[in-house]
Formats: sequence, C-alpha cells, structure tokens
Amino acid sequence: MEDLTIVPKWILTLGGYTLEFNSETLIMSWIVMGILIFFGWIATKKISILPGPYQTLAEVMVATFEQLVADALDEGNRHYFPLIITIFLFIWLSNMLGVIPFLSEPTKDLNTPLAYGILGFFIAHYAGIKTKGFKAYASEYVQPMFFMAPLNIIGELSKVVSISFRLYGNIMGGSIIIMVVSHLVYNLVLPPLLNAFFGIFVGTIQAFVFTMLTLVYISVQTK
Amino acid sequence: MEFSDAIWVQAAAFLGAAFSVGFGAIGAALGEGYAAGRAGRAISKSPELSGPILKNMLIGQAVAESAGIFALVIAMLLVFIDTDGRPLIDAFAYLGAGLSMGLSAIGSGLGSGFPAAEACQGIADNPPTQAAISTNMLIGSAISQTPAIFGMVVAFMLMFVDFTSQPLWPAWAALLGAGLSMGLAAIGSGVGSGIPAGSSTLGMARQPSAATAIRTNMLIGSAVSQTPAIFGMVVAFMLLFIDWSNVPPWPTWAALLGAGLSTGLSAIGPGIGNGLTAGEAAEGVARQPEAQGPITTTMLIGQTVAQSTVIYGFLVSLILLFIQQEPSHAMTEWVALLSAGICMGFGGIGPGIGEGIAAAYAVRRIARDMSQNVLLTRVMLVGQAVSESTGIYSLIVSLLLLFVI
Repeated sequence: MEDLTIVPKWILTLGGYTLEFNSETLIMSWIVMGILIFFGWIATKKISILPGPYQTLAEVMVATFEQLVADALDEGNRHYFPLIITIFLFIWLSNMLGVIPFLSEPTKDLNTPLAYGILGFFIAHYAGIKTKGFKAYASEYVQPMFFMAPLNIIGELSKVVSISFRLYGNIMGGSIIIMVVSHLVYNLVLPPLLNAFFGIFVGTIQAFVFTMLTLVYISVQTK
Repeated sequence: MEFSDAIWVQAAAFLGAAFSVGFGAIGAALGEGYAAGRAGRAISKSPELSGPILKNMLIGQAVAESAGIFALVIAMLLVFIDTDGRPLIDAFAYLGAGLSMGLSAIGSGLGSGFPAAEACQGIADNPPTQAAISTNMLIGSAISQTPAIFGMVVAFMLMFVDFTSQPLWPAWAALLGAGLSMGLAAIGSGVGSGIPAGSSTLGMARQPSAATAIRTNMLIGSAVSQTPAIFGMVVAFMLLFIDWSNVPPWPTWAALLGAGLSTGLSAIGPGIGNGLTAGEAAEGVARQPEAQGPITTTMLIGQTVAQSTVIYGFLVSLILLFIQQEPSHAMTEWVALLSAGICMGFGGIGPGIGEGIAAAYAVRRIARDMSQNVLLTRVMLVGQAVSESTGIYSLIVSLLLLFVI
C-alpha cells in the first residue's frame, strides 16, 4: 500500500544541477492535452448550422461557461473566458483520468494544482493592475488601515495555497480511499461505486470549484 | 515485564484506532440524527410526501456517514497493521494518524448532516423541486466531506511514509503535532462547509429559478470555509516532511507540538465563522437573486477578515517551525514554546466565530436592502476589527513568549 508515496521520476543532470521530473504526472498531462486537442480538432473540423454531435457538445460547454464569465466579470474583462474554460476542461479531464485503469490523475501530484494556482494568481493581479491602474491596486493593500498591509499580502498569498491544496487533497484523498477500500474488499462490488463517487462526482465538483475560484479572484481584483 | 518497541508500537496503533473511530463517530452520528429529526418534522408537515422525504433522508445520511466510514477504514488499517520490528517513532505516527482522522471526521460528519436535513425540509416546502434539491444536497454533502478527506490523506501519510531516518527526538512531537494540526483544523471547516450547503438546499426550494446562482454561491462560500483546514494540512505536511535530524531535540520538540496546536486550534473558529457567513449569503441569494453581486463580494470580504486569526496561528506555527532553537533543557524554554502555540491556538477560536457572525449579519441585511451595501460593509469591517482585537492580544502574547522570554 506504500505505492502512493513513491513517485516515478526522470532525473536529468544539467550543468551541475539535478532536475527531477515526475514522469507519471507528465505523461498523464500529455494524455489530457492530447485528448483536448483532438476534441477541439474533431469538433471544429466541419462547422455547420446543423451541428454534429461533437460540435453540439462543444457549443453547450462554451455557452455555459460564457454565461458564468458574463455573470462574474465586467464588460472589459470578458476576454478571460478562454482561460477559464481551458482551466476547467484540463482539470476536469485530469480528474476523470483516474477512473480509467492504469491511468492516474495528474492533479494527484501537488505540482499540477500549484502550477494552475500560481497561474491564476498572476493573471488575477495582472487583470487588477490593468483595470484599476497601479495606484488604486496598491492602495487596496492598506485597507482598512495601513498596518494591515502584511496581513493583506499573506491573505493574498494564502489564496494560492488554499486553491491548489484543496484540489490536491480531494483528488489524492479520493484515490487513497478507492485504493484502500478496494484492497480491503478484494476488489469486489464496491470499486465501481467508489470510482463513481470519488472519481467522477467529486472530481467534477472540485474542477468546477477550482475554476469558479479562479474566476472569482479575477473578478475581486477587477472590481 | 519487559516491553519491546514493537509492543509499544502495537499499543499505539490500537490507541490510534480507538481515537479514529471514537472521535469520528461523534460527528456522523450527530449529523445523521439532525437529518432524521428534520425529516420527521417535514413528514409531519406533509405526510403524503413521506416516501420521497424518507428516501432523501437515507441518501443524505449515507453521505454524512462516509466521514465515519473514512474513520473506520483508517481504524481497520491501524488494528491490522504489521508492527513487527517497527521502530518506536512509528508509535507516534500511528497515534497521530488516529487523531488526524478521528478529529477531522467530527466536523465533516456534522456538516454534511445540515444539507441532508434542509433537503427534507425543502421537499416538504416545495415538492416539484425535489430533483434540484437532491442534487444540491449531494453536492453540498460531498463538499462538506473535504476536510475529512484531508484528515485521511494526512493519516495515510503518517501510516505509510517511512520515518525511520528521523531521530525519535524531536520527530515524535512533529508526527503527533501533524495529526493534531490536521485533525483540529478540520473540525471548524467541516461544520463551516455544511452550513452554506444546508441553507442553499433550502434556498433551492424557495427560489428554484435561481438554482445556478445559489449553487455557485454555495460552492464558493464552502470552498473559502475550507481554507483553515488547508492551513492545518500545510502545517501537517511541513511537520511530516522537514528533516529534523540537525536541530537540538530540546526544546525543539515543544516548538513542533506548539506549531501543530497553534494552527489546528486557531482554525476551528474561522472555519465555523466563514461557514456562518457563507450560509447567510446562500440564503440571501435565494431570497433576492439580483443581489448576487454585492452579496458575494461582501461575503468574500467578510470571510477574508474573519480568516485573519487562522493566519496569525499559521504565522506563529511558521515561526515555531523555522526559527532555530538554542539547545537547552531548561523547563522555561520548552514551556514558553508550547505555550506560544496554545495561546495563539485558543485565542484564534473566538474572534474567528465572532467576525463570521458580524459578516453573516451584514450579508443578511444586504440581501434585504441592496442599496445600503457600502454602509453595511463599513460597519461590518469596524465591528470585525474590534472583535479581532482579542486575537491580536493572543498574537502579541505568543510573540512575547517566543522572542522575549
């Protein structure tokens, strides 16, 4: 049962520095990217007024997220919509990957959620500076009083920590419970139900929560 | 009688199993009981709906039960774990695992009882919305399980990561501290994420047309309520994975235990407080969907301020973890370090809940009168700053204990 704590690695030595790559995470991320690119290609191959099944699916997703972004962001910041839907699709598909035998979720490795958390953090602050100007942006840190500045800065940084550890903890916890309980019941009856709940259901909710929080962080900064 | 290390490890594993199921059963049982109670009330209001209400109650209770089942799984592993030839350090790891899982299941079990209970009420209030209510209940209960899942991740790491390279002193305190930090921190967040899940489920019955807005608001509010548990998990990870072989065992062990208690205890208050705010926000969106913008903004501001005491606790933990201690066996040294953690930990509970209540009322009034948004937010911030002051006193005393004594 120790296999969850062992991470397969590629080690590369470059000019005296040792670089470690988590090979499983990388390969699984590439699979997700491959699926997404393939879906994008097949959905837009033959665009017509009477949409095919893939185009319909893509249109439903785009319309849903366009509405969510329109509800949260002002007119001038709607161009963040492609980013938001990409984050959702990538994380959602990553979480779904664990349901398939022999594949594992790239989001089970803290590095993946952390990368997306940091990305969202920088984009939110960039959007804030761009919309309000640097002076108005900086003055928010001394609200409500000047000595609150260190606290506000820690509070901002803690958003990155909380958004990425939430996703990581849920996905990691789900895979632990699936593995342990399946082991205890000799892989009888329960594993499909556990995969349905912790893999598909919790995975979808957490992907949505991550996306919504990124969107809310951008919207808080730009208002 | 001669005791070998393996016997101590075995005994600690049994004790850990007892902590895990013993504590873990508290929350789930309370949550399920509350759901059953509200189901009874709903059925007496509209007996013709007893079938759907009963079905809904059972599904909701099953999800609330899962926190207890996590605790059961960890306890089973602890009872049957092979302790032959294990070093004494594993005794503390198993004890920590039991505490982490057991304590963290309290909040989640209780928290996921709220959506189950409100869903029964909602079905009686507005039977046609049954499908939307059940879906929302499932999502809300699943979200409330997150802190228990965090507790399980830490418990699992405590059980299966190899700690033999760590010296017994002070690493035993680090492992126990990791369990306490994660377990205690998850209590508040579990309850806190259950409150918005419950009120959003009831809100769905009141205003089915605003279902998407209510659900989005609930997800954001619950997610923010889980931040204190995440701080607990981060401190637990640091305690688990930092190498303690180059630090003086005395008085560092007290610092490590104090670090766990500081974040763990101080997270209880903000978790519950954030949940109260998010609950009122979900109810407010259901009452007045067009006020969603100002409600969400005020909720987020109020929650951020209410979270400051757990940030103080986290700060004290970081100081305790990363400041190199002078080797000393003096009692004053280690008691001061432990007290710093305890002081900030307990001191953070009250302000977290208090500030959450202030924010909850502000959000509630904004849902009734959107035009007073700015004024209400200002009053909320001033009130929160005052109720924060006791948390700041704790921080000052902690820092005095750390740096002056």
